[in-house]
Amino acid sequence: MRLIHRSHRAANAVRTVSPSGELFVASVVICMILSAFGDAVDPSLFGELGLEYALFDLTGEFSVLAMRHWHLLQLFLAGSALAAGIMVLRIVVGAFFRPLESAPPQDAEKVPIKL
Amino acid sequence: METDFFSAAFLSALLAIVLIDLVLAGDNALIIGLVARNLPKESQNKVIFWGTFGAIAIRAFMAIIVVYILAVPGFMLAGGLALVWIARKLLTPEGGGHEESHLAKPATTFAGAVRTIVIADAVMGVDNVLAIGGAAHGSVLLIVLGLAISVPIIVWGSKLVIKLVDRYPSVILLGGAVLAYTAYGMIVREPFLVTWFETHPATKLVLAVLIFSISLAPWYSERLPAHMKPLVVVLPALLLWMLAFEVAGTVWKVQIDYLMASNQGEYFIEGLRWIGWLPFVALFLWVREQFVQRSQRAARDTH
Repeated sequence: MRLIHRSHRAANAVRTVSPSGELFVASVVICMILSAFGDAVDPSLFGELGLEYALFDLTGEFSVLAMRHWHLLQLFLAGSALAAGIMVLRIVVGAFFRPLESAPPQDAEKVPIKL
Repeated sequence: METDFFSAAFLSALLAIVLIDLVLAGDNALIIGLVARNLPKESQNKVIFWGTFGAIAIRAFMAIIVVYILAVPGFMLAGGLALVWIARKLLTPEGGGHEESHLAKPATTFAGAVRTIVIADAVMGVDNVLAIGGAAHGSVLLIVLGLAISVPIIVWGSKLVIKLVDRYPSVILLGGAVLAYTAYGMIVREPFLVTWFETHPATKLVLAVLIFSISLAPWYSERLPAHMKPLVVVLPALLLWMLAFEVAGTVWKVQIDYLMASNQGEYFIEGLRWIGWLPFVALFLWVREQFVQRSQRAARDTH
């Protein structure tokens, strides 16, 4: 028996995880896949396609291709930054745009979405 | 692996080892309690001390052995595949009640109790040492440091760990993701496959997505609506199909790149590669639908 099984919430983590925790882990997973993408792409291919600029950014450290050299700590930090960015974006967008609500199915209105 | 203690590589590997240790830790305290419950009071403290010491020693020994075994060609691939299964099992929600360890039978003698504790720890810790062996990149120093940090936490601070994962279940998801990433690293570093991956770099991305899609399936399948659930099978199967063509192209020296195809046979193989999976997916969806309908009909008949 694992130690985590002493906690019901931990043993059912996929069901009990908080939305922000889930967003953080999902962002870290995205960064890990991007780092695998950087590992998979041959940089000379970009040169052949005339996209050399994609290899370089301000310091050459933050392009997807450079992510192949990133370690777990850096991926965690990048995941945190990505999650924080998405959260801020959600709050800002939520302040300006009202989400659409679906109208009840039995409603007389012909359009199923109402503002 | 560089041994500069404050380099990102060293700290990252140490973090991965500690995280893996925490999420895959066996419940030593429970095992020791179960084994020692029938012993006289004065022997119990001695059993707790020697049982804990033996458990730590066997864990360190196994982890160091794993580092050397992983250097043997083929074992890195097998270890990586095993880690995918371990990550998936870690994230799968618990079905019924707690499974009581059949290894922890009450002992009647001091030696018997210590032996049972050590064997139980060795059996429970196989997945753990495999994972930290993979995350340590062959560094014994990292393994010893990782164990020195995490074992005392697990043995004497188990309540703290339980509190942590109970308050933040996302630690378990993060542990699953780190296990999947470690599995990817192990498979890509497999000596048999290193040259193949160098000549087929794009397959690394396919492999990474395949590993994450299998390991994290219990997580994303929980969020998918019922009609999208087949994706849990279809997505990894499709990635495997693509990988299989790359492997077949190497083994049978078949041209599978459409830009380089020159005869009808090669164009046919290319077509098969990109759309050949469609009938299989359609068949799978049809069979699945039949099963769902049959079980719904059976449930209706019983009511």
